[in-house]
Parts: sequence; structure tokens; C-alpha cells
Amino acid sequence: MNLHVPMRLTRLVFPALAACIAMGQLASPAAAQSAASFYKGKTVTVWVGNSAGGGYDLYARAFARHWGKHLAGNPEFIVKNRPGAGSMLLTNELYNILPKDGTAVGVIGRGMPLEKLLGNDLAKFDSSKFTWIGSANNEVSVCVSWAKTGVARFQDLKTRGMIVGGTGAGADTDSYPKAMNKILGTKLKLVTGYPGGNEIMLAMERGEVEGRCGYSWSSAVSTHADWLRDKRMNVLVQIAMQKHRDLPNVPLITELADNAEDKQVLEFLFAGQVWGRPFLAPPGVPADRAQALQDSFLAVTRDPAFIAEITKQKLEINPVPGPELARLLAVQHKAPPIVLKRAKEATD
Amino acid sequence: MESFAAEASFMLNAAGNAFVIMMEPTRLAFLSMGAFLGLILGILPGVGGLAGTAMLLPFTFSMDPYTAFAFLLGLGSTVATGDPIPAVLFGVPGGAASAATVLDGYPMAKRGEAGRALSAAYMSSLMGGVFGAALLAVSIPILRPAMLYIGSPELLAFAVFGISMVAVLSGRAPLRGLAAACFGIMMAMVGADPQSGTLRWTFDTAYLWEGLPLLPIVLGLFALPEMCDLMIARTAIAAGSNKMDIYKGQWQGVKDCFQHWWLIVRCSWIGGGIGSIPGISASVVDWLAYGHALRTEKGAAQTFGKGDVRGVIASESSNNAKEGGALVPTIAFGVPGSASMAILLGAFMMHGLVPGPDMLNKHLDITYSMVWSVALANLLGAGLCYAFSPQFARVALLRYTLICPAVLGIIYIGAFESSRNWGDLYTLLFFGLLGWIMKQFKWPRPPLILGLVLGDLIERYMFISVERYGIDWMTRPLVVILFALAIIGLVRPLLEDYRGQGGLRAILGSFGRARFEWGQLFTLFYLAVFSAMVIMSRGWQFNAKIVPLVVGGVALIAVVLSLLNQTFRKPAAAPASGTEISAADNAALLTGEKLPVNTGKIHMDIESDTAHLPLSTIIARAAMFFGYLLAFMGSTYLVGLIPTLFIFVVAFMRIEARERWTLVLSYAGFMVVFVTLVFDRIMKVPWPPSLLGEWMPALKVIPSL
Repeated sequence: MNLHVPMRLTRLVFPALAACIAMGQLASPAAAQSAASFYKGKTVTVWVGNSAGGGYDLYARAFARHWGKHLAGNPEFIVKNRPGAGSMLLTNELYNILPKDGTAVGVIGRGMPLEKLLGNDLAKFDSSKFTWIGSANNEVSVCVSWAKTGVARFQDLKTRGMIVGGTGAGADTDSYPKAMNKILGTKLKLVTGYPGGNEIMLAMERGEVEGRCGYSWSSAVSTHADWLRDKRMNVLVQIAMQKHRDLPNVPLITELADNAEDKQVLEFLFAGQVWGRPFLAPPGVPADRAQALQDSFLAVTRDPAFIAEITKQKLEINPVPGPELARLLAVQHKAPPIVLKRAKEATD
Repeated sequence: MESFAAEASFMLNAAGNAFVIMMEPTRLAFLSMGAFLGLILGILPGVGGLAGTAMLLPFTFSMDPYTAFAFLLGLGSTVATGDPIPAVLFGVPGGAASAATVLDGYPMAKRGEAGRALSAAYMSSLMGGVFGAALLAVSIPILRPAMLYIGSPELLAFAVFGISMVAVLSGRAPLRGLAAACFGIMMAMVGADPQSGTLRWTFDTAYLWEGLPLLPIVLGLFALPEMCDLMIARTAIAAGSNKMDIYKGQWQGVKDCFQHWWLIVRCSWIGGGIGSIPGISASVVDWLAYGHALRTEKGAAQTFGKGDVRGVIASESSNNAKEGGALVPTIAFGVPGSASMAILLGAFMMHGLVPGPDMLNKHLDITYSMVWSVALANLLGAGLCYAFSPQFARVALLRYTLICPAVLGIIYIGAFESSRNWGDLYTLLFFGLLGWIMKQFKWPRPPLILGLVLGDLIERYMFISVERYGIDWMTRPLVVILFALAIIGLVRPLLEDYRGQGGLRAILGSFGRARFEWGQLFTLFYLAVFSAMVIMSRGWQFNAKIVPLVVGGVALIAVVLSLLNQTFRKPAAAPASGTEISAADNAALLTGEKLPVNTGKIHMDIESDTAHLPLSTIIARAAMFFGYLLAFMGSTYLVGLIPTLFIFVVAFMRIEARERWTLVLSYAGFMVVFVTLVFDRIMKVPWPPSLLGEWMPALKVIPSL
């Protein structure tokens, strides 16, 4: 296999939106009319399942500042944080408590939609019944190594192995290396308990850990561009459904599977990357309003003012429409029992 | 040498440039606005810099980076200046990092020295804040190498050293202090265990999954008991003093600070130093500084906790210095040193700044502008406080029916701010009751907070250290030094106690026939709780249960020894001839505090001043107090928090004292308008949903319904 690390870093360019725009359908004039009369003078609350200042929160606040312009009836948008249990608290409330009339929308952790399938009893929702509005970004996660360690290619993870840092059981930084060890036979040694991702990067710099798996590429580019430029950090593998345009030469995790079943399990586990920043509303939002929310969500992502703001914050925008999220989730729900079983084992 | 000189001139240049930049009028205006807001948020208990910084963040988009950080840091730096105001006046910590201020500030207010205590708090805040900023300014060149030297084993050692302060913060009740600290550690372990994901003591609730939030616990432990005792005593806070010369007190407070300048320097270094270590929570710096002062200041062991101004100075100088310290890891590594620094990190991103070497090099002027912002904001904050202080200090003379409704209402909202969940209110109530009983039965509360904050860090970094280095980490130099200091700190007070009591024979000789006291029931309660928690943890995976089992075991031993001590110890002999038996000592005998007084140590906590009342009155009025709290929560559940506030204020003032209707209604009206404006309109707090709102959604135009 030709596995080498990208030597060149393109400037952060936002991926083309064309495909997604084509998917967004135009609402019928009558439907738009009734949504407009509903939303006129109302306030829409964007609930964030994580604390203020984090990635999910930054996306939510950026959307909230521009959404009112694009939604029929021009309602006011406000943001409220509802952190707890890795956003499961909010997901439960969106499903069970918050208003179903289209005035409550939320953004939750990308792992949440699969929690119930993976057997978490605290998940009090059926993720296929939510009103999916869209995802702000199709995320690409990577595994990186500190160059000084000599770990330079994916293959080294199978022979030499690597010490990776984690933020705690259930987090991507922990479940990704575990899944890779079980399914791809890598020898990753997990040292977990770091308070956050930034702390892992600091531990890597001071030599306490050798690398990190489950590291959002956009965050790598925005916070450690110098390390990538000076080749102090190697990118070993990308964890996503499709390769990132910046990383044509880094292998995609699903390509590394030995057989079809392994590949299916990997796809099941990492599908969440597609809905990297998922926006949703409670089940049962009237169809015209759901449509208006989905359309206006995509319209925001094309707004030059929004794009300028998001560029300044170095956030990536690569939107995925709501109906596409719903379709992907339906596929997940139909996964063969053996895939589900192995996925559960791999993350346990 | 040459390179050093070049480096120094580069730094001075940048610092000078930054100062000129900061002197620009618009920036100064935004800095002042931030400082003013920070003070107000600091005064409101529980509403701290985190909520404020998050609130201001969107307004900084269109500013240049200097102005944006001046605005945000202006707010962040003065929160700690506003915090001591409720701590001194009501015994209600304005934030988690000023709980230690309560210990001496509140007794001073009770004595009629509120003006002096506040003045000392402002001045030491100011000096601490400026020293913290200065420390940051001079250490910039060595920041990154120094930080890179501190790994997980060093963090573990720092946390262990911090927890060794339990020995000194337990005063003359070491066993109870140890048990309280263990209880704090156990509480820190509630939630998903980072190692195995085991849900520890969560009782199937999502609320407990991420662990108990700090603020409702601090407010419960320290604020509610003071309010309860105020209601039991039915007096004004400064009831004992009939005249209060505020201006003289203020001048005295300033003099105190200059007299104890060396203490301020040391405590602000502690604050700045601890604040700058990435991964160590800064919410215990006040206790570490307080413990340090208690250990090193002359005669402190006899007077701290009884209204010694040095206690206020130690706590306040350290917590203002920590903000400057917390900037260090944020700037140098992008690792936020505190929760509000995490939001500041968001602001970095928005302005296209990347934390790391560039900030100490290419953008050094921005870094220095932050240092100046912190220093200037501290100056402004203290100035504003002095301007308004005479009004604040008079509050201590008001009768309790005017104090309790407003303070309790704000405590509830403040607690609810921490995770915006009903669970916060239950946590507040549970720890309020626990805190009051601990205070009555003289269990020291500070060790509990220390255990709560540091317990989590110790478990976290112990696993990382062992997993990564085996046992080799124990030989790292800084680890060895810190462990040695911790052991000395733990063993010395124990040896002093042992000698003070005349050795083993004397201790054994002091045991006698079994006796029963009410205080023993509370000890039994702890015994039951620890046993239940240990039993529940037996089935968990090894990684999840090892620390709870060890800590629980130590706690059980401490509790059993304490119980034996209570049951079989003969009442203490009369103190050495010539000393009077004070009322407090008498009360101590009644409640089962029986360590001989000749160890020279005091009870390390505020004492209840309700001992003159009959027990039945105390119990009846305390039941009434917690009844009010329950009714408050019940009513919130039915009609929402803001309508409840109105009902509560009216009911409390009418039932307790038949206050005039005009006063009652204008008071209640003002509270509702204030809370609606600040918390509903500006901060957009998501209120707990109410039953009435569910039934009649049309009524939801009323805020919080």
C-alpha cells in the first residue's frame, strides 16, 4: 500500500456545496406561506447539548445569528445551552419534553443517534423518528502521531504500536482506538482520563503520549497548522466515509478492512462522521415547518455573511441536508445483527 | 547574556506598546464596562464569570482583538473582586473560589466590622490581581519550557499536596476532617468513570452522569446554613454591634493589607502559580492560600475562623491572582486554565489567533495587552467597590426578613445556573441540610470541598501516571519534593496533637464509660452512607472501584474512630487554670467536641451563634427554614421560578414578621423585575419547565412558566 503523509497543507477552503444544494428541494409556495404565518413574531430556540464555547456551541451560535433571515416569517433565534451526559440529556428532552411545533431545534453530539442501537438504556428516544434538519459539517477525524516517535505510517500501528491519549470511556478518542484494535489489529495503547482534547495535544508535545486517534481534521488545521507544516506531527489514517480534499494520500479507514464484514462494521461505527454537527427538531413537527427549517438551514450555509463569519472562526462548513441524515439513519437501523453485535463489542 | 538583554528589550518593547494600545479611550471604555459587569456578576452568588463571558462573547466579533480581550478579561478579572461582598455580608460565597473568605469575613461582619473586612478584601484583591498579572508578565519567556516540564505525575503530586491541607483545615477535629474529605472525594466520583465508563452512584439519572456540579454544593454547604442560622437567631447579621463606623473600618482594612503585604505576595503567588498549571482546577486556590496562611502566620491557629482579617486577605489575594495565572496555559498551549478561559479560547479562534508559541513571539503585544487588561480591571474593580462600599456594609444592619428572601432567591437561581437542571436544586437542598447539620455538630466543612475538587484530579492523573509510567513516575524530582511536603504537612499536625494530649497513655486514660449524644447519630449517618457507597461499588470493574474502595475504607476507619471517641471519651477536663471557659467551649462540650483544649487548636469553621436558644426552638425554626425551601421548589414545579419568587418573598416577609404590605409588595415587585430583566432577558436562562405551563401553554408569556 502506498501510505504516506501529506507534505503540503492547502489553505482552509470550504468544500463545494453543489451536491448538497442540488439535494435541497424547493418548498411549495402554499407550504411556505403557512410556515411564514406561523413563524412570524415567534422566537425559535436553538438548544445546545454541550457547554458554551465548544465546537457544537460555536456552530449553533453562528447559525442562530443568520437563520432568522432565511426562515419564512423571519422569527428571532436565540441559543440556550443544556449540557449534560454528553448531550444525551438534551436528546432525551428534544424527544420527550420540548415543544414539537417547530420553535425548538437542537444540536447534539454526533454519537447520540446510535446510542440506543448500541444498547444504552439511558437513551430515551428513537433516533429515526426525529425531525432531522441537517448537519453543518461532514467531519473527517484522523489519527496523528508525534513525528519524533518514528511512527510515520498506518502500518507502524500494527507493528510498533503507539500510546494514544483519551478523554474518557465513550469519547471518540477512546472508542476509535479500541475499535481499530479489535477490527484492524492495530496495537494502540490507550492512556485515558485527560480532561479534554487540548490536554492530549499538550501531553503529546511533552512526550507523555505518542499520538491521538479521533481528532477532528478541521481542528488540527486551525490549532496546530505549524506542527503539520513543520512535519512535527504525522497524519496516519482518516476516519470518515470519504477522504478529505486536504488528505488525498492518507488512507481511509474503511479501505483498510480485510473483508466485507469488517468493512461493514467500520462503516456502521464511523457513519456518525457524516452527520458531524447534527441539527434536529423533536418528532412530529408539521411537515411544512420541517421543510422550511431544512431549506433555511441550507440557505444559511450559502449566506456570504455567514461564510465570512465561519471562516474567521476557522470552522468548516460542509452541509448535509436533513433528508439525507434521515436516510442514513434508516440504513443504520437496518444493520444486520452480526454487524450490530460486533460494533457493540468493538466499542465496549 | 547578550541574547538575554535582547530578549528583555523585546519584551519591554512589547509591554510598552501594549500599554499605549490599551490607553486608547474606546478600549478603556470597554474594559471599564466589562469590569463593571464583572463586579455585578461577582456579587450575585453563583453567577460567575463563566455565564458573563459567554454572554459577552458575541458582542466581541466586530471588535479588534485588543478591545475584545480587554472587554472579556475586564469582566473575568473583577468577578473575584465582587465575590467577597456576599461572602462577608451574608456568609454566602459569591463564587466557588471565595468560600474561604466566608470563614473570617462573615464573623467580622457579625462583629460589626463589615466595612473593614470588605475594605481588606478589595485591597487584597487589587494587590493580588496586580501581583498575579506581574508574575505573568515576567514569566512569559520561560512559560512554555516550564509548562512542558509538568506532566501528569506532577499534576497528581500537586493535587496530593493540595489535599494534604486537609490536616490543617480540620482544626481540632482531624478524624472528622478526614471523613469529610473522603466524603468529598466520593462525591467527586459520582458519574461516569473516565477509565471504564462505569456509571458510579448515578441511580439511573442522566443528571448525575457527568458528576455533581461544584457550585450548588458550595452554595449548599456554606450559604444555606448561614441563612438558616440567621432565621433561627431572628436578628440582623451584625446584631452584636450597636454602632459601626464604616469609614474608619475601611481605612483600617487598607492598613491591614499594607501591614500584611508579605502575606498578600505569597498568597497571590500561590493563586497565580496554581492557576497557571493546566489541568489543576483553580477553584480551591482560596483554600490552599488560607491553609498556607493558617500554617505560617503567627497565632493564626488560635484566631482563624473567628474573624481574623488575615484569613480574608489570604483568600482574596489568591483568587484574584488566579485569573492572571489561568491565562498562562490558555495563551501558551490552548489548554484553558478555567471554565471562563475555555470561552476566551473561543474568542481567540474568532479573531484568528492560535494559542501557542506565536502568542509569545509574533503576537506578544496582544499577550501583554491581556496582562494590562487584567491589571487595569483589578484597579477599576477595587475603585468601584470603594465607591459603593459604605452602602454595602450597611446591609449587615438590616433585619433578617429583609435579607433572606432576596439572598435565597438569588442562591436558587445561581445554583440552577450551573447545569440548568432540576438536579441542581436537589443538590443545593441536600448539601444545604448536610452543611447545616455539619455546622451544628462541628464537623469542619472546608475539607469536604477540598476532597470534592481534588479527588477527581487525583484519580484521573493517578491512572494516567500508572498506565503510562508504571511506578517510575514516583522518582521524578518534582513529584518527590511535593510528596515529601505533603507528608510533612499531614504528619506534623498529627504529631502535635499526639504530644499535646500527652502521648498514648494519656489518650487511653481519657476513655471512660459509654455515653450518648445527639451528635453521634450524625456520625452514624456518615457510617451508613459510606457503608452503602462501598457496598454498591463492590460489583464494578477494577478500575472503577479501586479508588472508591480505598477512600471508602479510610473514611469508614475515620468515622468509627470518631464514633468511639465521641462515645467513650470522658468530657474534657477544665482548661488550664486562669483561662475562662467561653460560651463556644461550652457549646463544644454539649455537641460532643471533646478533644482537650490544650492542643491550642480551634474548630476550623464558623460556629453557630444560636447556642443560647433552646434546642426545641432551633429545631423548629430550622424545620421551618427547610420547609420554606421545599415549598419554594414545590411552587417552582407548579407555577415556575419567577412567579414563585414573588409568592416566596410575600409569604416569607408576612409570615415571619408581618412586614408592611407596601414594603412587601415593592420588595417582591423589584425582585421579579430584576430577575426577569437580568436572568430571563439578558442571560436567557432556560427555566425549569412548570406544570402550569404544560397545562396552559398560552400562559407561557409569563417568564419562566
